[in-house]
Amino acid sequence: MSIKAPRKGENYELSVDLNSEYREKRKDAIKRVIASMTVDVSGLFPDVLKNMQTDDLEQKKLVYLYLMNYAKTQPELVILAVNTFVKDSDDPNPLVRALAIRTMGVLRAEKIIDYLCDPLQKCLRDENPYVRKTAALCVAKLYDLKPELVIDNGFLEQLHEMIADSNPMVVANTVAALTDIHIAASSQPSISPNDPALFPISSSILTKLLIALNECSEWGRVAILNALARYVAKDDKESEHICERVVPQFQHVNGSVVLAAVKVIMIHMRGVRREDLIKQLVRKMAPPLVTLLSSPPEVQWVALRNINLLLQKRPDILSNEMRVFFCKYNDPLYVKVEKLDIMVRLAGENNVDALLSELKEYASEVDVDFVRKSIKAIGQTAIKIDAAAERCVHVLLDLIDTRVSYVVQEAVVVMKDIFRKYPSTYEGIIPTLCANLDELDEPEAKASLIWIIGEYANKIDNADELLGIFVDTFTEESYPVQLQTLTAVVKLFLKKPDSSQGIVQRILNTATKDCDSPDVRDRAYIYWRLLSTDPGAAKVLDSILPLGPLSYRCRCILAAVVLAQRPPISIPRTTVAPALLEELLGEVSSLASVYHKPEETFVGKGRVGAESLQRKTDAPDDRFSTQKALQTVAAGQQAENLLDFDDAPAVEGRPSGLAATEVLSHTPAAANLLAGTSSNPLDDLVSIFGAPATPAPPSANSHDIFGGLGVNSAFSSGGTGSLGSPAVQSPSVAVPPLQKNQQPEDDLLGLF
Amino acid sequence: MALDGIIILDHYGRPIIQSGFRSSTTAYSILHIDAVNNALQKAERSADVDSVIYVPPLNTANGSSACCHVEVGDLRFLCPVSGDVDPLLAFAFLQTFIDILREYLGTVSAATLRDNFDIVYQLFEETLDSGGHPLTTYSNALRDIVIPPSLLNKLLSVTGTNFNSTINSGFGAGAAVGPFSSPLPWRKTGVRYNNNEIYFDIIEQLKAIVNKNGTVVSSHVHGKIEANAKLSGTPDCSLNFTNPQVLDDCALHPCVRLHRWNRDKMLSFVPPDGRFTLMDYTFSSNPLPSPSPTQQSLTSVMSSRSNLTIPFIIKAIVELEDSGGSFDVTLTSRYSTHALENIVADIHLGPGAGGIRCNVSRGSGGGGFINAGGSRNLDTSGASSGASWSFDAQRTVLRWEIPIVSPSSSWSLHGSFSTGTRAPRPSHAIRVRFDISSHTYSALKVGQLKVTNAKENYKPYKGVRGRSSGEVEWRW
Repeated sequence: MSIKAPRKGENYELSVDLNSEYREKRKDAIKRVIASMTVDVSGLFPDVLKNMQTDDLEQKKLVYLYLMNYAKTQPELVILAVNTFVKDSDDPNPLVRALAIRTMGVLRAEKIIDYLCDPLQKCLRDENPYVRKTAALCVAKLYDLKPELVIDNGFLEQLHEMIADSNPMVVANTVAALTDIHIAASSQPSISPNDPALFPISSSILTKLLIALNECSEWGRVAILNALARYVAKDDKESEHICERVVPQFQHVNGSVVLAAVKVIMIHMRGVRREDLIKQLVRKMAPPLVTLLSSPPEVQWVALRNINLLLQKRPDILSNEMRVFFCKYNDPLYVKVEKLDIMVRLAGENNVDALLSELKEYASEVDVDFVRKSIKAIGQTAIKIDAAAERCVHVLLDLIDTRVSYVVQEAVVVMKDIFRKYPSTYEGIIPTLCANLDELDEPEAKASLIWIIGEYANKIDNADELLGIFVDTFTEESYPVQLQTLTAVVKLFLKKPDSSQGIVQRILNTATKDCDSPDVRDRAYIYWRLLSTDPGAAKVLDSILPLGPLSYRCRCILAAVVLAQRPPISIPRTTVAPALLEELLGEVSSLASVYHKPEETFVGKGRVGAESLQRKTDAPDDRFSTQKALQTVAAGQQAENLLDFDDAPAVEGRPSGLAATEVLSHTPAAANLLAGTSSNPLDDLVSIFGAPATPAPPSANSHDIFGGLGVNSAFSSGGTGSLGSPAVQSPSVAVPPLQKNQQPEDDLLGLF
Repeated sequence: MALDGIIILDHYGRPIIQSGFRSSTTAYSILHIDAVNNALQKAERSADVDSVIYVPPLNTANGSSACCHVEVGDLRFLCPVSGDVDPLLAFAFLQTFIDILREYLGTVSAATLRDNFDIVYQLFEETLDSGGHPLTTYSNALRDIVIPPSLLNKLLSVTGTNFNSTINSGFGAGAAVGPFSSPLPWRKTGVRYNNNEIYFDIIEQLKAIVNKNGTVVSSHVHGKIEANAKLSGTPDCSLNFTNPQVLDDCALHPCVRLHRWNRDKMLSFVPPDGRFTLMDYTFSSNPLPSPSPTQQSLTSVMSSRSNLTIPFIIKAIVELEDSGGSFDVTLTSRYSTHALENIVADIHLGPGAGGIRCNVSRGSGGGGFINAGGSRNLDTSGASSGASWSFDAQRTVLRWEIPIVSPSSSWSLHGSFSTGTRAPRPSHAIRVRFDISSHTYSALKVGQLKVTNAKENYKPYKGVRGRSSGEVEWRW
């Protein structure tokens, strides 16, 4: 079957020229065909094929190039080329031999494959290193198409022999080929550990690799370094040996070699026991990483992501280099954000002043996103370094003075976190914050300020007035603001019961009657019921919604819950879980490290062949986790700000105690919920239990409430985890609420 | 390792040329082109697009992948990667490939690419294996297998002589051995020149941030030594410096013998033929102290590093009003011997800025005229006007350009801008870029360069030049 070239148009002209009797005309025509490869010129296949037999190397290469691109479309005709391929693989010119082998490997045509094995066999033993290295890579491609051919022909054994080749380039390419085969083979479901296709690095291979490492090209070095990263050292002596041999790679100009070397060192440093060597390695690691930062922004970003990861494991690497990370105003946003993150990580008492003056500078920049992140960074610094908290607060006050809306709002949000970390320390600035009440239009900022007012209600003379503003506009506010207002008013009532009966009554009324969020309504009901047990308050409240008087202790529960001292917060030292971190460090200098997610979560293969077919089954899952991974990456910054609830230290100075609630508020999620700071959508679960249309009998009711809370806290502890800080809650934290919540329920039942 | 290929897009995001993508589906490259174009469209500033874009798979049969991309002039180079690859590998490879293209085509543009499709396709084939492994990227080796387009080649093909194919198929004159048989992968054998010469350019770039009080917040000098070797045979060079202690964080070309450098601070190497970067370094005015530095000494190193003098002073007075502002910026050279050249100062005026009125003038200060030597000639052209300003309304950047600032002279720019109804929010920083010829910040001096050659005896011409540039962010 032959395809007729079109009679008219350019293709026709090309076809005529390709069949010209003049050599130069034919060659020129081939060049034109190549130039129009962006459009379809597959119709010229037979005409081009005729020009394959030639002494002119350039022409031969162009024809081969064409064949590689159009072999798929003309599988029947490709067979015509086989003779020339086989002949060329025996050509006296090594370039032609290599070209023939390379092209045959790339064509991916069944018919060609069968003729490939013999020439390949020869070329693997070729005297010319260029031919040998080309042949080595060809074996990997053959394995991709027909693994059994590779195994039957003994190509694998030959590759293993070639690791000891005298030419380092051949060694590097052989390692690359064996690694490719290893990856392809290990993705098969039914692979036995003794499969010949696997490429375990033995100590004899190690020796050969270390020798070739210093001789070959940068790309070869990367391949070898990646293989070294897989090696499992026998003892500490061997780990030391590897580290010492790899360290000189830090001086390579190519950044990918440097990063691959850093990875190998990080992996094998675990096995090193000599403290002085570890110190030395860590010290040598800093300069090349810093040098990467003088590269173009895209390289900088990759470097920064990796540095961020390395710092989590070894915060000492760049402890004196913070200034390198100072942002320029024309840095791209993604670079700036990463730099900010690293700067906060490197912050310490000795450099915090420089950091703060930088952050203050950034807060006056044009880019709103960046300004907000800088202000957040100020808050993180305050929480990280106790000694600098006051200076941070002053910077924030300066920023609030600018009266730029988004600056003020972000500063208020950050201030709330500082109040949480250092309770009762900076009350003096509350008036300044309240003075900006009118400026706030973002829910988060409003909610933060309301939280502060509620928390310090007893110290703010006009707290009821201020909260009154929000109560007036209650139904127009967003739900987080409503929730926060509700809690703050209840706090106010508990602290100043005499002057705030009116306001608490108003808000409970509005929240239970006019609010369309079940979440807000439920919280209002809970508060109401607990409040109505108080003799004083009950008088007022009973008139609206009569509930039987409950024990005095119920009021104490409310006080304990609402006014509970929250566990101190701190910024997570790491943003990824320790176990994940270990795994990621193995992935330094990889896509995984850039996304701070382990390889399996997102790596897929864009290739055709056995692997992708095999992956078909688990692909949807893959895809889901990839998206999730990337979302998390996007939320990476946010994750930083999700302040860690540290559950370990015992809470002291609790206003009043009930064993049950104590247990409850010990679990972060529960404390979070009860204090009303949670914006977790899973709070809605309360509604399942706690939203009876008509008031139920008291005892059953409060059972419901606490049943609801118990379930909810169990759920929401999982929920906060998924919000983007999986590391923050280690499994050991997540489990206790489930068991302990049984207790409060029992206790309460006992009470009634 | 799997770099799946290279795609080159033109200014409008349309593909000009791409490598084979033979081990992936046909839709694969289109998917990546679309992903990049979409991301670019969404972003306000194209520079703010993440440099590694996640590309979801088209259907469940294919896994996901990522796309690394770089902008070069009007073009955008894409490198799709699948599997767990170091994105830095992709970027390093892209950079190398772009350098190779420059060497082959002179300038890299849509037009030159279109004129040389056959060359570019060949380069794709030779530099990147279809399995995703970078192959030959040493230009010395590449030139053996892909003939650069040259006037000679064009002439020959016009006259119909098939000369060049005999060169490359028979490795004709002198080079009896085949390609890649050279014991040094970076240098080809049988190189011959009538005039043997080797040149070194010491190029340093200063990057600094200065705060509004005029104190240097951070400053770094990155230097590199670029060499151009035109030496016959297999020459062995050794280069030493009179003050190697100024060099820090050195990254060396693979041809340099590491142990000699680590032992004697001597660069001993057999150079590639032609241009190459011999080493990269950071200038530290104070060499790192003993192996176990105390906290104190480290901080002192840090401060000394930032103590480098910025070659000029800027005084900026900016007054902001409700709907605009006025500025008065004065730039004074601090150098008494070297002129600053090609000064470009960018002021980002923030959203809504327009209605610029500006006046540039040469300040009264400075004695440029009286200064000796070449600066006098320079002044006559610069004094009259020379300096100019322009405004990029889209990016709202006011650019002030001064061709030459002679030693100790001062220049000023004053004017006003309006922002319509909005309050002005300019960046509180002026970015200044400049060049200084025949000058290095580190004052690195080459002590001695020896070229030895076992077979042939020649005395090459040797030359060393210094050149500096800088990028300073001056806050106000």
